[in-house]
Amino acid sequence: MMKSVHLALIILALQSFPLRAQAPFDMTPERPAAEEQTGNGAVSQPVVVTPTAQPGETEAFKRYLLPSGSLDLSGEFEDRAWTFYLTPQQAATGAKLNLGYQNSIFVAPEVSRLLVEINDTKIASEAVRSADTVSDLSFELPKDLLKPGSNLIRLRADQRHRTDCTIESTYQLWSNVNAERTYLSFSGSDAQRLESLDDIRAIGVDDNGLTRINFVVPALEQPSTTIPLMRLAQGLAVFADMPNQSFTFNTRGTAGKKSGELTVLVGTSAELQPLLASLPGSASSEPIAGFVADPATGSSVLAVSGPTWQAIGTAIESVVAPTDIAGPAIRRDVITTQRWRSPDAPFLYSDTRLRFSQLGFKTEEFSGRRFRTDFIIGVPADFYANGYGEAVILLDAAYSPTVLPGSHIDVYVNGNIASTVPIASSGGGILRHLPINVTMRHFRPGVNTIRIEANLETEDDKLCAPGTTGLETPRFALFDSSEFHMPDFARIAQLPNLAASAGTGFPYGRSLEPIRLYLDRIDADTLSASATFLGRLAAGAGHPIPLETVASPALIGSRSAIFIGALSQMPQSVLTQMNIAEASRTTWGSDPGGQAGTVSTEAALDAWREKLRGGVFASWITAFEDWVKRNFDISLSSLRFAPVSESSFMPSTETSLLVAQGASPDGSGTWSLVAAPTGKDLHEGMQALSTQDTWRQLAGHITTYQRGTKTVETVPINDFDFIETEPASLSNYRLIAANWLSTNILTYAVLLTALSVLLGLVTAMMLNNLGRRE
Amino acid sequence: MKAGIILFWAITSLGVIALVTLPINLQTQLIASIAVVTFMAVIKILRAEGTWRLIALAFGTAIIMRYVYWRTTSTLPPFNQLENFIPGFLLYLAEMYSVMMLALSLFVVSMPLPPRPSRAASEGKYPSVDVFVPTYNEDAELLANTLAAAKAMDYPGDKLTVWLLDDGGTLQKRTSPNLLEDQMAKARHQELQILCGDLDVRYLTRDRNEHAKAGNLNNGMQHSKGELIAVFDADHAPTRDFLLETVGYFEDDPKLFLVQTPHFFLNPDPVERNLRTFERMPSENEMFYGIIQRGLDKWNASFFCGSAAVLRRQALDQAGGFSGVSITEDCETAIALHASGWNSVYVDRPLIAGLQPATFASFIGQRSRWAQGMMQILRFRFPLLKRGLTIPQRLCYMSSTLFWLFPFPRAIFLFAPLCYLFFDLEIFTASGGEFLGYTLAYMLVNLMMQNYLYGSFRWPWISELYEYVQTIHLLPAVVSAIINPRKPSFKVTAKDETVLVSRLSEISRPFFFIFGVLLLAVAITAYRVYTEPYKADVTLVVGGWNLLNLLLAGCALGVVSERGELTATRRVKVTRRCEFGLDEQWYPATIDNVSVNGARVNVYAKNLETLPLNKRGLIRFTPYSSGKEEILPVAVRNTQVAGDIVTVGCLYLPEAARDHSLIADLIFANSQQWTQFQMSRRGNPGLLRGTIWFLGLAFYQTSRGLIYFFTSPGARDKARTAAEAKR
Repeated sequence: MMKSVHLALIILALQSFPLRAQAPFDMTPERPAAEEQTGNGAVSQPVVVTPTAQPGETEAFKRYLLPSGSLDLSGEFEDRAWTFYLTPQQAATGAKLNLGYQNSIFVAPEVSRLLVEINDTKIASEAVRSADTVSDLSFELPKDLLKPGSNLIRLRADQRHRTDCTIESTYQLWSNVNAERTYLSFSGSDAQRLESLDDIRAIGVDDNGLTRINFVVPALEQPSTTIPLMRLAQGLAVFADMPNQSFTFNTRGTAGKKSGELTVLVGTSAELQPLLASLPGSASSEPIAGFVADPATGSSVLAVSGPTWQAIGTAIESVVAPTDIAGPAIRRDVITTQRWRSPDAPFLYSDTRLRFSQLGFKTEEFSGRRFRTDFIIGVPADFYANGYGEAVILLDAAYSPTVLPGSHIDVYVNGNIASTVPIASSGGGILRHLPINVTMRHFRPGVNTIRIEANLETEDDKLCAPGTTGLETPRFALFDSSEFHMPDFARIAQLPNLAASAGTGFPYGRSLEPIRLYLDRIDADTLSASATFLGRLAAGAGHPIPLETVASPALIGSRSAIFIGALSQMPQSVLTQMNIAEASRTTWGSDPGGQAGTVSTEAALDAWREKLRGGVFASWITAFEDWVKRNFDISLSSLRFAPVSESSFMPSTETSLLVAQGASPDGSGTWSLVAAPTGKDLHEGMQALSTQDTWRQLAGHITTYQRGTKTVETVPINDFDFIETEPASLSNYRLIAANWLSTNILTYAVLLTALSVLLGLVTAMMLNNLGRRE
Repeated sequence: MKAGIILFWAITSLGVIALVTLPINLQTQLIASIAVVTFMAVIKILRAEGTWRLIALAFGTAIIMRYVYWRTTSTLPPFNQLENFIPGFLLYLAEMYSVMMLALSLFVVSMPLPPRPSRAASEGKYPSVDVFVPTYNEDAELLANTLAAAKAMDYPGDKLTVWLLDDGGTLQKRTSPNLLEDQMAKARHQELQILCGDLDVRYLTRDRNEHAKAGNLNNGMQHSKGELIAVFDADHAPTRDFLLETVGYFEDDPKLFLVQTPHFFLNPDPVERNLRTFERMPSENEMFYGIIQRGLDKWNASFFCGSAAVLRRQALDQAGGFSGVSITEDCETAIALHASGWNSVYVDRPLIAGLQPATFASFIGQRSRWAQGMMQILRFRFPLLKRGLTIPQRLCYMSSTLFWLFPFPRAIFLFAPLCYLFFDLEIFTASGGEFLGYTLAYMLVNLMMQNYLYGSFRWPWISELYEYVQTIHLLPAVVSAIINPRKPSFKVTAKDETVLVSRLSEISRPFFFIFGVLLLAVAITAYRVYTEPYKADVTLVVGGWNLLNLLLAGCALGVVSERGELTATRRVKVTRRCEFGLDEQWYPATIDNVSVNGARVNVYAKNLETLPLNKRGLIRFTPYSSGKEEILPVAVRNTQVAGDIVTVGCLYLPEAARDHSLIADLIFANSQQWTQFQMSRRGNPGLLRGTIWFLGLAFYQTSRGLIYFFTSPGARDKARTAAEAKR
């Protein structure tokens, strides 16, 4: 009974967490606020927390399924697939699938369907009819459907508007799949038990899409334990590879086992004995690493122990080693994303053509008005083609004669419009490998999402007779023979570049020698933050990053290093290298009131500009500037010869966490800094930053996290060094030059002018010497 | 030293090429284009010459190369859309042809040789000269003037022999089974023999009309022995200083085979006549003779243009005389001699005055011969691979011959916009921004470069107009010469026609048809902009292009609407003292202007009244040739009395051969006047002013053409029957 109260409390606590903030690809801004409240209201009723709960100890184990919290299936068509990992015990146990969802009031139930597939077997195809409240669909899964290991689940919504035939109206269509009520439930306690080390992958998520790994380490404050612990944390991060995972460190206490949580006890047998009664006796003589049932809670905990810390190191290695096979030397073909998005993102290093079928897309015929689909690809950290590059989509598609010219197909990269292709001819048409140039401007190291959206206008929709929205005659088809063509692109890394670190753990992931880790103090908060940060880097890199500690900052030298802790405790050289104002040591986090009075110069200047937009002439100039900006994306600031030097950065009072990157003093290494005013800020800020959607925003030279607004701000890279990552080749240098000149526009103009003048002079000289010259 | 400079140049060029082939983004391109266009404009506005000229050209080249790179890599329609790809690729080829021709002409004219100083003053040896005047069907009067002028050239008499090479009175013609031809040939044979006798000119004809003009000249060579040979077309009357200005060069350079001088025309070509630009705008051929030949001359590649030139017999003998494989024997002969190591020189000073075709039809006939001849040269004497030519000479000859392929790109540019407007084909894939950053910059730079290179010789858009008016009829001619290179035969261009009544040219019909089609395309543009607003930007760009074509086509309507002219021949302004004799009394007078038929004289006479028509008068003046006063009989045609000055218009009444010499002396003797006339219309209006002027011209000529079209259908038929009768 105690346990269920505990659960309810946590759920209540989570209620304050906005569920929708976690939903990826949220494209439903039109969703009325009132609905959101009803949605949440329904969730908040503690009574329905465990609708299938059995009384007493036979309570079913819930394996939550949504990897990033509640999921919005929006628009007329959306299809999501990902995998979840099951232990052999779980696969063997019969399971029930529960799916809770609520949909927009505008969705017409007669013609809208929600499909569920597991391992390519259709589980359900239900009418979408839950506008009032979250309703549950429950399905008994066939006996042999689930397999040990990865299982593929696919959710797909086909939704149509009740009355409206406009393209805009499709934004009102959504079904929100409730994370808390979407799970597999296993009867019997076997399902809950973890046995082999492989079962680490089965941690899964909690009812909010989060994965937590709780370390209990009695001796965590001893400096010698830091490196082994960080290695274990990284190994677990790579093992589990969930989108939103974070680490906490404690010296004692094991919480009850919950979905999406893993408790890891690390310590000598002597240290652990008081915490874990069931610790195997062999731990006092040899290294052990394995799951042990905690008699206090009845759940499995991962115990890593041995007679000494040296032995523990060996034990840790036995856990981590499998994740460290793919070291920095091995080039990955894919970035593992399947836990939140299947299939894995192909990793593109050079000229590559990928058929859409390889990207997980199946030929689709569509009868609505706004068709969307997306796929993901990975690019390496040394991707340097944002300035000039263009990828090409060779589109195989068809549209029916009813589709009117004026319809268009848009391509978005990471949510930014990258290309628009108008459908300009009437009478239907088949597009065969129609090339669509997609600017690579918004590509970033790591995983990129490319979305294709077809906006279709028809005469029927203009009339919009009753029932039009439900017509099933296909208007548009997209074929999986379409291709994505990535050309050869410039490859050279930039330093600093937090986006590269966030995407693929660069440059630490490629380092063969250990990275120096400097923690200003060793306590639970700092270790939690460090483990979360390093776990993220390791997951991005695909393998744990080798580390070593340094006792004193003076010993770091110029090697690559990571600094984590309070800003005030950081060595001065770090602040200098990162271009952070020395004053922020004392001002940041001290007295928010004192800072309130200062006005940002830039903001003030903008405000004054706005105020003084009076003069006719001035307004013409502004209008012209706006026009140029709008049509050609050229602004005065983009007219530059070379990168401007960085200005000194001062974190604002709202900032609770700061991540910065810079070159080491002699430029040979990369220094990264994670800092916060206090240990608590550090821990919480890092935890918030590590969730997938936030982590993805890590970019530039400095990224800050604001706790109050839960927002991320970045300071763009202005001044950077190149780091060669590829063997020298003329073609790569050419592309690098193209990108550099495309970002430093005026330099190109000056170079072209200068070379032309030179050519003119040399030609004159030549012509004066050749031929007749009387 | 030279090799070092060339190496340095090659390295610099490689640097430029590396820079322009970077795949930079559109923003960078836009800014670079703006910068370069601005620099070019500044250099142009400052009229900077010398090295600046080459810098401006280098600027232009950079932008053009960027355009070519972009056009090649990103604008071709996908190959799997054949309906777009084929016309798109044709358009691409046409553009690349234009770029290649620009590159060749840059090579030729980027640093033309400055005009050489006059040789007339220098004393020297006088080698013996044979003057050949080949004729086929020109009438005796015209020949009389030319022969008289040739005879009057300032040169030791014993060293100068003038030959009339008559191909119209050959034995073959005189014994023709065609009775009419037979009789006319016999009459011509007799008449010209008499004329030659009078003028002390050798008459020569031959048995058979073989190898046309080349054969005729070779026949002349067989019968003469002068060291040098001067060739004048039947209507090309030389000035007195012709030989003095040219012969000296042969002494300087023993390997010299040719001194070519410009062709200067007394009458306007049909385009100039119908557009009324003859007095104001430089003639079409001035670009060739004023700058291109000078450019060729820099590379020792100035070539023989059939007339107004002096050649060395020794060189011709070595090459086996004039070549006759192609119908442009002149250029062909020059290639053969250049290839065997002989040199040529160009003298940039008009030393002859001639006639050019007066009607549009004969103008087209003449151009067809040139175009077909150049195709034959390309086919049989491909200059790029011709052994013996230097590399610059090869490029120069390629430039001269490939130029005549212009009907293909011109036709493609004409029809390309219609592919989109009528058939909705997308043959050029680019966005509006790209169009601005690449295409517009390219077009601007192209216009500026043309203006920079040829500004005072060729006004904006005139090249395009000439190319367009020729394209319609030249295209089939060129195609036939390519398919069947041995078929074209030499046709003598008629230059003695006159248009007395305003009428449409007999070959004007296609121009009106094309104009109609383009006009329809404009209507469709407007319709599509209205009905398909989502692609209005593309439609507007393509429609704008079509509008440009329409302007040219409209202007061409004026070209094919032949204006009637009252005076049959062009008058030349001269100011020369003389005395006018009437009824045994001499009045002081000045000759105001002259033509080949008559003169206008201002007579100082207090008591003179209006004179009766056809009253006989006499002009007494001192010809340049003899230095003593001579008398030319005339008939009065009209008089105007203004106070003490009576202006008399009179018609020559040549009675003796000497009278022809006097007439020639009046008109042709002074080479200075031709230079002055050319200079008077050589002015660069600039790109902007020139364009505005051309717009006005196009509008006016369109309306004139349409008025002719709708008011004189009968005249058109009459013209056709007249032309047929003449043939």
